[in-house]
Amino acid sequence: MYFASFMVKNLTRRPIRTALTVLGLAVAVGSMIALLGISDNVERSVGEAFERRGVDLVVLKTGVPNQLDSELDENLVDRVKSLDGVEDVDVALVSLIDVKMKSGNSISAMCLGWPSSNFGYHDLDIVAGRALHDGDRQKTMLGAKLADTLNMGVGDTLEVSGEPFEIVGLYKSFNVYETGALIILMEEAQRLSGRKGKVTGFSLRVHKSIEHPDADVEAVRRKIEALTDENGKPARLSAQTIQEYVKTASHVLLVRAMAWMVSIIAIIIGVISMLDTMIMSVLERTQEIGILRAVGWPRSRVVKMVLIEAVMLGLAAAALGSVGAIALTYILTLFPKVSGFIESGIAPIVIAKGFGLTVLIGLAGAAYPAIRAARLLPTEAIRHD
Amino acid sequence: MTDRREYLLFAERLVKTYPDGDVHALNGVSLGVREAEHVAITGPSGCGKSTLLNLLGALDRPDQGEVYFRGEPLSRVKNIDHFRARQIGFIFQSFFLLPSLTARENVQVPMFEGPIVSVRQRAKRADELLELVGMSKRANHRPTRLSVGERQRVAIARALANDPALLLADEPTGNLDSDNANSVLDLLTSFQRDRGLALLVVTHAADIADRADRIVRMKDGKVVEDVKASVGVG
Repeated sequence: MYFASFMVKNLTRRPIRTALTVLGLAVAVGSMIALLGISDNVERSVGEAFERRGVDLVVLKTGVPNQLDSELDENLVDRVKSLDGVEDVDVALVSLIDVKMKSGNSISAMCLGWPSSNFGYHDLDIVAGRALHDGDRQKTMLGAKLADTLNMGVGDTLEVSGEPFEIVGLYKSFNVYETGALIILMEEAQRLSGRKGKVTGFSLRVHKSIEHPDADVEAVRRKIEALTDENGKPARLSAQTIQEYVKTASHVLLVRAMAWMVSIIAIIIGVISMLDTMIMSVLERTQEIGILRAVGWPRSRVVKMVLIEAVMLGLAAAALGSVGAIALTYILTLFPKVSGFIESGIAPIVIAKGFGLTVLIGLAGAAYPAIRAARLLPTEAIRHD
Repeated sequence: MTDRREYLLFAERLVKTYPDGDVHALNGVSLGVREAEHVAITGPSGCGKSTLLNLLGALDRPDQGEVYFRGEPLSRVKNIDHFRARQIGFIFQSFFLLPSLTARENVQVPMFEGPIVSVRQRAKRADELLELVGMSKRANHRPTRLSVGERQRVAIARALANDPALLLADEPTGNLDSDNANSVLDLLTSFQRDRGLALLVVTHAADIADRADRIVRMKDGKVVEDVKASVGVG
């Protein structure tokens, strides 16, 4: 008999209690893994949209941690383009707008106001119709996911912020946000949002030397942040690398904070649940523990027994919770209101973290019962009834 | 003067008082058990028999006095659990088999702290012991599916798991009918003789005590009589 088989037998002798403990813990752990997975997906998707296009810097208004809330003068683009070391600049006006479904219900969607020259078009896979051209007034391209949600295709008319827009093309992007968004020309986006001559931010590629790529990016960053407006006052531009942008973007921070907040609650619930189960288990096995001590088991083996039982429960819960979490993120993507913002699936590293945290939950919850079991005096434990 | 090195186990002026009372459970008990000797401890309930057994088996520590094993004081043994696992085999009145394990697995429980490391060897050793106690056909049964006599046989096999020098039996036939009791006692005495084990049995029953080489009678926490042998020092 293996030591581990002894513990498996201990757990399976109360199958209902074990199953309920695993289930309860799996719900807590599954919520934690799902939320951390969503947070990780958001973080990765935000960075990916820039990284895969070779963007070196994202420029926003200083003090504004989110592209949606930033507002810059469009004429700054030409000044930035003319700076030494700048290879290319791409501009966008990003906003959340209401679009009307065929059913008459409205949903929020991300609207990307891109000029026809935006280098983002090169990465889109046009699956139907065409891309936008200069002069395409009241015309839009829909991301495939948004088109699915709206049940609309090329030639249909979509009501965007109360105005009819003809759908001229459908596209797929490597990025979940773009596939769940719609694209209109920059001037149209400015007109709809009443922000003529304004953009929410721009991204740029830098001419980088092989020897000092980081120094070259840093030099361009300093030049951008030193730009002044027409009155000679600082233009208050903040140029961030992709990593910096992802770390400070308010929506990423918000999702991450929410994920950890719920995770901490889940961890506390998990620890209490494990504590309850293991203390019950130790109490009802007091006499048996006395026998184990009498036949020569040292305190350390008794502690190990209780802790390993808890870890086994935790691992079973983590496995069940992970499957549940993956299923949950998939189910969430079926809901129109969130389908454009959430990617299904959870990164293996997040699942590994979930397993690690669950093992810690198990150990934390079982620590006191294990110590209590080890402290039992064999003579008293044997007499226990 | 008694030379405690002559004894496998030697208890010297043991005193034990429990915290819930002023009465001494043991009040200066001295006792020696030689290698391969069969000793019975008798006396009325509450006279301190089980307390003495616990101290001799290193399950508890005396308030005063010392227990010596082959001349070495137990208070100086660094790893008392290891000592208990390797040198002492316990047999209890209520058997105390683990309900979730089969007979074969129950016998293997002390082996986790014994000299056999291999899982296969542990299983083989358990099978051999179950064969010795006549339980090989019931090896895969859990305690709830065994009769009380069979349970005590499995408990005896468990006590022998690590080939101890001393078997301590606390009322080993207290829960058995007379047939099963005789059969279990025959088993214990045969092991004691064939394997050269020291056997110390705590019992109320005079017929069980009569099987021993020596009978030690206790009363009020003291040894009041030590008969049938020349080695008693009580």
